[in-house]
Amino acid sequence: MEHYQAPLDAAFHALSDSTRRAVINRLMKSPAPVKELAEPFSMGLPAFLKHLRVLEDSGLIATEKAGRIRTCRIRIDRLAEAESWLSRQRALWQASTDRLADYVETQISGKENDD
Amino acid sequence: MTTENSELNISRIINASPATVWKAWSRPEHLAKWWIPDPIECKVVKLDLRPGGGFETLMREGGGEFKPHVEACFLDVVPEHRMVWTTTLAEGWQPIESWLALTAIITLEAEGKGTRYSARVLHRSPADSRKHEEMGFQVGWGTTIDQLAAFVQRLE
Repeated sequence: MEHYQAPLDAAFHALSDSTRRAVINRLMKSPAPVKELAEPFSMGLPAFLKHLRVLEDSGLIATEKAGRIRTCRIRIDRLAEAESWLSRQRALWQASTDRLADYVETQISGKENDD
Repeated sequence: MTTENSELNISRIINASPATVWKAWSRPEHLAKWWIPDPIECKVVKLDLRPGGGFETLMREGGGEFKPHVEACFLDVVPEHRMVWTTTLAEGWQPIESWLALTAIITLEAEGKGTRYSARVLHRSPADSRKHEEMGFQVGWGTTIDQLAAFVQRLE
């Protein structure tokens, strides 16, 4: 089980941060050099590179160096897996389970003596 | 990703007896209240809790027409303990083509004063399931990322 879940967990972890999600959203449009990706953020380059590293380790992005310029691109296949059908199904089931619990606890439980 | 799993497990405590939780599942008027999220309306067409019995729900948004939601067949029913149903069959064991083939195993166990509610959901291979789901899934990447993010934040 752990073995199966690990790649998905890494992707989820990578996407749990707003900076990293912003990078992903930017890379959706096109590949971009690190310098350009870092521009919108007020943090220093070392901190930003840490975020890129997390994304790269999760497999959600790939980077390539040509000369002195490092370019990042999205790995759409990995992203598709991260937000895969199974994650969506799990979210749906979790939500319905929570609705069931809420409904039972607030709507039925107190009136249980009627039968 | 060949190591991707195709099974999911949900488990939580509900602060009510298994009998009460079972009631919320087994009576159409109750099921309709929580099975589909607001504001989408749910209509329970079949809820025939016995092996071979049909399970069918429809959904409606904004006063339009009711559309298919779930069509399934119960495989196993032990009142207040367990129900198993699959979308690969319809009422009376009739094989059907489902947009998302799954078998749901719902179990209720008394735990303290409440109920340990578990849903184990089995799917076809990840590749097949994804292919099928994508037929009915056309949402922009941005939206799905936001949904994913929201999902992740709920987990934390």
